[in-house]
Amino acid sequence: MNNFLQVLVVGIGDGAVYAMLGLGLVVIYRSTGLLNFAQGELAMFSTFITWTIWEVGVPLPLAVLGGMVGGFLVGALIHQVAVRPLGDPHLRPLATVIVTIGLFLGVNGAAQLIWGTLDKDFPKLFGESQVTVGGVAVAWQKIGAVLVLALMVLVFWFLFQRTKVGLAMRAVASNSESAALVGVPVPRLLMLGWGLAAAVGTVAGVFTAPNLGLGSNLMQLTLIFGFAAITLGGFDSPLGAVVGGMVVGILTSVLPQYLPIFEKMRLAPAFILILAVLLFRPQGLFGRKQVERV
Amino acid sequence: MSTSAHDRTPQQRWVRGGTWLAVAVVLLIVPTQFPQFRVEQFCSWMALAVAACGLNLLTGYNGQISVGHGALYGVGAYTTAILITKAGWPILPSAVAAAVVCFVVGVVIGLPALRIKGLYLALVTLAVATLFPLVIEQFPGLTGGGNGLAITSPRLYRGVVRDKPIVFESPTSALAGDQWKYYLFLAATVLCFLLTRNLVHSRMGRSLVAIRDNETAAEVSGVPVATVKILTFGISSALAGVGGAIFALNNARVNPSSFTIVVSIYLLVAVVTGGAASIVGPALGAVLFGVFTDVVSPSLPARLQPATPVILGVLLIVLMLTAPGGLVGIAQTFRSRLAARRLRSAGDGAAGAAPAA
Repeated sequence: MNNFLQVLVVGIGDGAVYAMLGLGLVVIYRSTGLLNFAQGELAMFSTFITWTIWEVGVPLPLAVLGGMVGGFLVGALIHQVAVRPLGDPHLRPLATVIVTIGLFLGVNGAAQLIWGTLDKDFPKLFGESQVTVGGVAVAWQKIGAVLVLALMVLVFWFLFQRTKVGLAMRAVASNSESAALVGVPVPRLLMLGWGLAAAVGTVAGVFTAPNLGLGSNLMQLTLIFGFAAITLGGFDSPLGAVVGGMVVGILTSVLPQYLPIFEKMRLAPAFILILAVLLFRPQGLFGRKQVERV
Repeated sequence: MSTSAHDRTPQQRWVRGGTWLAVAVVLLIVPTQFPQFRVEQFCSWMALAVAACGLNLLTGYNGQISVGHGALYGVGAYTTAILITKAGWPILPSAVAAAVVCFVVGVVIGLPALRIKGLYLALVTLAVATLFPLVIEQFPGLTGGGNGLAITSPRLYRGVVRDKPIVFESPTSALAGDQWKYYLFLAATVLCFLLTRNLVHSRMGRSLVAIRDNETAAEVSGVPVATVKILTFGISSALAGVGGAIFALNNARVNPSSFTIVVSIYLLVAVVTGGAASIVGPALGAVLFGVFTDVVSPSLPARLQPATPVILGVLLIVLMLTAPGGLVGIAQTFRSRLAARRLRSAGDGAAGAAPAA
C-alpha cells in the first residue's frame, strides 16, 4: 500500500508538469487551432534562457521569471514570423505540421548552437529535501510542482474570465472572424497566446530539467506526455489539460509497478491513451465536439 | 501539374529525354569518381530517397500526414538485420521480407488512420516515432537492445566458420565492393521510383489525389476510399521498409539511435524541400539533405555543426510559406513563366505583322 502511495505521489508530481506543458498546448490550440509540435522545443529553449540567467548569479525563482519573459518573446516572435502567414491550420494541415516541424528542428539546432551539445546540471526550484507524511516520502519539488500548477491555473482563470484581454482572447478562440468585425485586434491576441504558451512551457522545462539534465532533447518525451494529457482532457479545455495531465502522470507512474514491461517504456501507456481517445472519443473528456462541414 | 506525354512538343520531348540521359550517366559514373566513404554516403542518400518516395505517396499524393515514417524505416532495417543475422537468410530475400513486413505494419497503422485525420494523425504518428527506439531497446535478445546489432553472416575465415559483418562481394574484379553495392542499391532505388510513378499514373493514383482533394466527393464518385487509403498506407510503408533495408545493408549495422523522431522529420524535410506530390521531388530532397549533412556540415567547425538543423528548419518554413511546391514547384513556376514570356513575344510579333498583311 505504501509503495502504491509512493508511486502515486511521484505520478501526481509528474502529472503537474505534463499539465503545465498541456496548458500551453491548449492555449495555442484554442486560439490558433493548431497542434504545436514545437511546444516542447520552445520550453527547452526558454529553460536554457533560465539556466543562463541563473548561472550569472541571479536567484533561481527570479531566473525562472526571466526565462518566462524570454520564452514569451521567442513565442510571440515565432508566431509573427512563421505561424501568422499560414492561415487556418485545419484547411492546410500539411503546411501547419511542416512549419511546426521546421520550428522543432530550428529551435533544437539553435539551442545546440548557443549552449553546446553537453547536458547541463539544473538545480531544483524547491530544493532536494523531502517530508515524510504517513510513511510516504514526498519531495518538496513535487509539492512545489503541484502548487505552481495551481497558481498557474488561477492566473489563467483570472486572465480569461476577469480581464478584458482574456475576454478578447476567448472571442478570438470562439469566432475569430466575428471578433475581428467588432474591433478585436485578432493577430495581436494570437501573438499574445503564443507568448503565453511559451512562458508556461518554461516552467514545465524548469521542473523537467533537474531529473533529465538540461540538453536539447529535454522535452521530446515530455511533449508526448503533454499531448496525451490534452488528448484525454480535450484539445481546447484548460481544465482537461490539468485533469488529463494528472491521469497521465499517475498512469505512467503506477502502471510499471504492476506491469514490468512498461518500466522502460513509460511512453507506451501514453501512446495507447492517445490512440484510444482519438479513436473512440476524439473530443476527449472536456473538449467540445468538432463538427465538420462538407 | 506536369504536362502529360501527349501534349509535349517534339522539342520538349528532346529536352526531357536529354535531361534523363544526363541524369542516368551521372548516376552511373558517380561511384567511379569518388572515394569509398563518399560512395557509401551516396548509398545512404538512396535509402533516404526511397523512404521519402514512400512518405510522399502517403502525405503528398494522398494527404495523410505521417510524422512517423522513421519508425517504418526502422522496422525495415531491423527486419533485414534480424533475418540475415539471426535466421541466416540471404540478403535479397530479407530485403523483400522487410518490404512485406512493413506493408503489413502499414496496413495495421492505416486502419485507425481512417478515423484519425489531419493534425491528429500527425500527432499519433509522432508518438509512434518517439516510441519506436524505446520498443527496440526492450527486446535486446532479438534486436541487440541499446548496443545495436551488427549484421553478420557465417563465413569461412582463416579456416574457421565465423560470424562476420556482411560485405558485398563484387562478381567482377572491375568493380570494388562499394561500387557493386552502389549499383545494386541504385537498381532497387530506380525500380521503387518507377513503380511509384506507374502507380501514381494509374487509376489508383487518381483515386489517391481525389481522396486528398475532397474525400466526400471521391466517395460519391465511386472511389473505394477506405480500401485505397489503407492500401496507400501499406505501399508507402513498404517503400519506407525498402529504404530501411538499404540503410541497414549499407551500414552492416543497426542502432536504435538511428531511428529516432529526427529521422521521421528528415524524411518530411526531403519530401517537402524536393516537392511534395511529384515523383522526383523526394529524390531531389534526399540529395539536398545529403549534401547538407554529409558535405556542408562536416566542413563546418565543430562548434557550428548544429547550424545544419537550423538552416534546414528555416528552409522548411520559408519554403512552406513561399513555395509549397518545393524545388520541383519552383522549377515548374520558372518554366511556365518562361513559356508565358515566349508566348507573349510571339503574340507581339504576330500583332506587329498583322497591319502589314
